[in-house]
Amino acid sequence: MTGILAAVGARLAKTVAVILLIATVNFMLVHAAPGDPALVIAGQSGATDQKFLDTLRAEYGLDRPVAVQLGTYLGKVVRFDLGFSYRQQRPVLDLILERLPATLLLTLTAFSLALLGGTMLGLVAGTRAGRWSDTAVTIVSLVLYATPIFWLGLILVLIFSVRLGWLPAFGYETVGGGMTGFARVLDILRHLVLPAATLGFFYLAVYARLMRASIIEVSHQDYVKTARAKGLTETQVIRRHMLRNALLPVITIAGVQAGTLVGGSIVVETVFAWPGLGRLIFEAVIQRDYPVLLGIFLVLSILVIAFNILTDILYRIVDPRIGAVR
Amino acid sequence: MNRREFNTWLATAGLVGAAGVPFGFTGALAQGKPGTLNSVIQPEPPTLILGLNQLGPTQTVAGKIYESLLTYGFDLAPMPSLADSWTISEDGKTYTFKLAKGVTWHDGKPFSAEDVVFTTSKFLIETHPRARAIFERCESITAPDPETVVFKLKEPFGPFIQAFEVSTCPIMPKHLYENTDYRNNPANQTPVGTGPFKLQQWVRGSHIHLVKHEAYYRPGLPKLNEIYYRIIPDAASRSLALETGQVQLTQFGDVETFDVPRLRQLPNITLTTKGYEFFAPLAWLDLNNRVKPLDDKRVRQAILYALDRNFIRDKIWFGLGRIPTGPINSATKFYDAKVKTYEHSIDKAKALLEEAGKKPGEVKLKLLQLPYGEVWTRTGEYVKQALSKVGIEVTLESADVAGWSKRVADWDYEMTFNYLYQYGDPALGVARSYVSTNIRKGVLFSNMSGYVNPEVDKAFAEGAATADPAKRQAAYSRAQQILAEEVPVAWFLEIEFPTMHDKSLQNLITTAIGVNDTFKNAERKG
Amino acid sequence: MRDALRAFLRHPSGLIGLVILLAVVAVAILAPLLFPDSPWDMAGAPFRPPLTPDLPLGSDTLGRNIAAGIAHGARVSLTIGIASTLAALGIGVTIGILAGYFGGRVDDALMRFTELFQTIPSFVLAVVLVAILTPSIATIIGTIAIVSWPPLARLTRAEFMSLKTREFVEAARCQGESALAIVGRHILPNALSPIIVTGSLTVASAILLESALSFLGLGDPNLMSWGFMVGAARTVIRQAWWMSVFPGLAILLTVLAINLLGEGLNDALNPRIARKRG
Repeated sequence: MTGILAAVGARLAKTVAVILLIATVNFMLVHAAPGDPALVIAGQSGATDQKFLDTLRAEYGLDRPVAVQLGTYLGKVVRFDLGFSYRQQRPVLDLILERLPATLLLTLTAFSLALLGGTMLGLVAGTRAGRWSDTAVTIVSLVLYATPIFWLGLILVLIFSVRLGWLPAFGYETVGGGMTGFARVLDILRHLVLPAATLGFFYLAVYARLMRASIIEVSHQDYVKTARAKGLTETQVIRRHMLRNALLPVITIAGVQAGTLVGGSIVVETVFAWPGLGRLIFEAVIQRDYPVLLGIFLVLSILVIAFNILTDILYRIVDPRIGAVR
Repeated sequence: MNRREFNTWLATAGLVGAAGVPFGFTGALAQGKPGTLNSVIQPEPPTLILGLNQLGPTQTVAGKIYESLLTYGFDLAPMPSLADSWTISEDGKTYTFKLAKGVTWHDGKPFSAEDVVFTTSKFLIETHPRARAIFERCESITAPDPETVVFKLKEPFGPFIQAFEVSTCPIMPKHLYENTDYRNNPANQTPVGTGPFKLQQWVRGSHIHLVKHEAYYRPGLPKLNEIYYRIIPDAASRSLALETGQVQLTQFGDVETFDVPRLRQLPNITLTTKGYEFFAPLAWLDLNNRVKPLDDKRVRQAILYALDRNFIRDKIWFGLGRIPTGPINSATKFYDAKVKTYEHSIDKAKALLEEAGKKPGEVKLKLLQLPYGEVWTRTGEYVKQALSKVGIEVTLESADVAGWSKRVADWDYEMTFNYLYQYGDPALGVARSYVSTNIRKGVLFSNMSGYVNPEVDKAFAEGAATADPAKRQAAYSRAQQILAEEVPVAWFLEIEFPTMHDKSLQNLITTAIGVNDTFKNAERKG
Repeated sequence: MRDALRAFLRHPSGLIGLVILLAVVAVAILAPLLFPDSPWDMAGAPFRPPLTPDLPLGSDTLGRNIAAGIAHGARVSLTIGIASTLAALGIGVTIGILAGYFGGRVDDALMRFTELFQTIPSFVLAVVLVAILTPSIATIIGTIAIVSWPPLARLTRAEFMSLKTREFVEAARCQGESALAIVGRHILPNALSPIIVTGSLTVASAILLESALSFLGLGDPNLMSWGFMVGAARTVIRQAWWMSVFPGLAILLTVLAINLLGEGLNDALNPRIARKRG
C-alpha cells in the first residue's frame, strides 16, 4: 500500500515539476515575441501619447524586469491563478472555463466517433485482409488521412449547408433563437454535426489504419494460432484473443492524440466559428494577449498530461500482462 | 456542364444556401417587440466606462449611456445634446455653454455644471489622451452657476467646438469619481451616465441589454424601450443574423465587405453610409520618408500614379468608399478639391521613376501588411502587383496587430497601410500625421512617415490658431495643395462603413456620429 | 537493393503514389514555363468560373489565375515539405543518436527534453511560433521542423538502442574504432531504412501543416501557396466554390501520393515489418 502511495506521489511530484517547467518555457517563448500589448490597446483606441502608454504598461506589469514577471507568474500558477487579461478585463481562468465546454463537446464527440468508428473499420479491414472490404476501408482512410482538415470542413459546408441546406454552416447555436431545454440541445447538436465530423474524420482514418495493422499483426501471433487450432470459431478467436491485444497500440496513440486534439481544433473552430478554446488561442496570438496565451498553453499541457495518465490506467485495464502499479 | 447550366447551378446553390442555412429556425420569434432594437457588437467591449476606454465597440454601446455637451449634424455643425445653447467670444478664446434643465444621472442624482468641470479639468486629463490634448489648452474651466460652463482658452483653438462629441468628451459623474482612483473605482462595475438608455444587464460573451432611462430630460424620448447588443464574434454569423432578422442593425465593420453586395439586395434591409462624417476615416499607403528612395517626391508620386484606386475601391472594397484627393477626407471640414490629382497612369509613373534616375527593377521596397482582416491583405497583394507593373519590386511582410503596432511606432517599416479617423476637423485628425512637431518615436498615430515641411507646419498651425472660418479655410487649402503635390503618403480610399438596418427602424442615423450617438429619436414601427 | 526495388514495384499503391508525385514535381518544375506570369497577376476578370478561356480553373476574387496559383503553389508546398523534413531529421536524428548511443544520463536528459516538446500540442506551438517569429518561408520551415522532430528522435534512439549491442558493433568497438566511426559507418546505415520511411511520411505531414498555417493567414505573404488559396477563398465559398476546391484537391493528391510512396518504401525497405503487416 505504501508502495502504491509512494509511486503515486512520485508521479504527482514529477507532473508538477513538468507543469512548472512548461510554464517557464511558455513564458519565455511568449515574451520573446516582438510587440507590446500596450501599443495594441492604444492603437485600437485610435490615439495615444506617452502618458497613456506608461499607464497601460504599469497596468500590465510590463514595466517590471522579466525575471520578476516570471516569478510573479509562477507564484500565481501554483495557486491556480492564471492571471488577468487586461485586454478583455477579465480573469484568464474565467475566459478559459467559458470556452472549455464548447471545445470539449467538439473534441470529445469527434474523438469518440473517430475511435469507435476507426476501430470498427480497422477490425473489419484487418480480419478480411485482402478482400474488397479491406481495400475499400484502406482507400477511404488513406484519402481521409491526406485531406487537409480545413478543406474537408469547407467541402462539407459546401455540400451539406450551401448545396443541400440540411445543416447550419457555422456557429454553436442559433443566435437569438430564444430556444430552451430540449429544443436548444437539438439546435446545438445540429450545429455540432459538421465540425465534429470534420475533426473526427482525420482521426478516424488514423485509428482505422492502426487497428487494421494491429489486428493483422496479432493474427500472426502464436496464441492466436493455438486458439484457432483448438477449434474456436473465428468470432470467438477475435473476441477472446485478438481484440484486446490489438487495441493496445490504438489506445497508446489515442492517449497521445486526445490531448493534441484541442490543438487540432484551432482550424476546425476557425472554419465553423465554433466558440471554443481554439479560437481563443488564435485571437490571443493575434492580439498578443500574454496572460490568456500562457493560460491556455498551460491548460492544454495539463490536459495532455492528464490524458497520458489516463492512457496508462486504461492500458493496464486492457493489458492482462501489466500489473497494478509499477 | 456548359457555362449557362453552371451559372444556374450556382444561383440555385446560392439560393438553397440562403434559405437552407437557418433550416429549422423559427424566424418569426426573433423579430422581437416593436419597442426593441436588436443589434450586434464586436468585439465585446472590455468595459462600458467611456471615460476610461474609447475602443470602437465601447463607443457604440456607451454612446447610448453617456452624453457630451454637443452632437454634430451631417455637415458637422454643432447640435444640442447636454448643452442647449452656446456662445463663442469674439476673440475665439471663451466658450460658454448653457446646459439642459432637469438632467439626472442614472442613479437618480442631479446633474450639474460641476460634473462638466470635473470631467474636463480632472477626469479626462488623467485617462483620455485625445481629450487631454484638447482640454490642456484651457486656462480655466468654471461653473458660474449650475447650468452654465465657461471654457477659457490660453490661445484661440479653431476646432475647440468639435471637442464635445461623446467619445472625445463623455461627461462623467463627479459624485462617484471625485478623489478616487478612476481606473479602479468600484463604480466602474456599472456605468452611470445621463443618456437616454441605461445598462440593465450584461451577460459576458452573450449580450448587453440597455433599457430606457425613464427620467430622461427630453420629454417623450427615447422612443425605443430597450436595445440588445448581441455579441457575435464571427462575421459570417453576423451577416446571417441580419439576414434572418435576428438583429435589425449592423454597423462599422460588422459585416465583411464581400457580404455587403448580397445583403443590401435583401428587401427588408436599408444600407446607408451616412453617420460616419465625424470619423471620416481616410486610408493610405504609408511611405516611410526616411527610407531611400521614398525620400524622393517623384518616387512617391510615381507610386500614387501606379495605383488604380478605382480597382481597389470597386474590386477589393466592393464599392465602399470614395477616392481621396489629398490628406483631408471630403466629409471633413475645410476639405478642398482644387489640388493636383493623380489619375491612374503607368506611363506617368514610369516617367517619374526615370526622371528620378531609377531603372525598372532597381527600386525594391517592403510592404508591411496591416493585420486588420482580409480586405487589407487583398489590398496589399494588389499594391505589390500594381507597383511591379511600373518596375518597383515589392516584398510583402506580415505581422500580427502587436508586431505591426510596434514596428510602425518605432519607424521600422518601409511601406504599410494605415487609416485614421479625422474627428471632423483637420486640427484634430489630420495635422497629427504630417506636422514635424508630432514626429515621436514609439508613439502610434503620430507623424510616423517622418515627413518634414516647414510650410506645412506653418499652414496647420495657422489653421488651428484661429476661430475664423475664412482664415482657417485659407490655411488648410494651402496645406492640402502642398501635400497633394508632395505625396508624403499615398492616400487611396475614404473608407465608407456600411450601416445596414431593417426598414422598420426610423430616425436612426440623424447625426455625423451615427451609430455611436444616443438613438434617442430612433423608433421601430411594426 | 534490387530485391527492394522488386518489392516496391510489386505494390501498385506505391507505384501510383510515385507516379502522382512525379507529376506534381513536374508541374512544380515546369510552373515558370507553363505560367510565365506571376501567379499574383490579375490575369482576367474576378470570379470567373472554371473553363473560362485562358482560365481553365477559373479566377479568384482579384482575377488571379487559379491554375497558375496551383502550379506555383506546388513549388512552395514541396520546398517547405522537404526542407522542413530535412531540418527535422537533422535535429531528431542527432538527438536520437546521442540518446540511443550513449544511454544513461544523456539519454535521460534528452528524452525528458523530447517529452516536453511532445507535451505542448504541436499545432498550437506551431501557430504561436510562426506568429512570434513573423511568417516567412524560413520561419515556417524552422517551425515545422521544431514541432516535427520528436518522433524521429524517438525512432532513431530505439534503433540505436537495439543496434548498439549487436555483434558487428561490438566487433568494431573491439577494433578500437572511434565512436564517430562506429555510429557513422556501422549503426546509422543499418538504421537508415525506417528513418527514411518515417522521413517520407514527415514530408506529407509537413505539407499539411504548412497548408493549415497558410490557411490561418500565417503563411509567407509573398508565396502563392495552396493553403493560402483555400484560406483566401473561404469567405466567398457560397459564391465561388472553385476557388477553394481546386487548391484543396492539390494538397490532398500530393499528400496522398507521398503517403502511398512511403508505404511502398516501407514494404520494400523493411521486409520484416512488411511481412508482419501482411
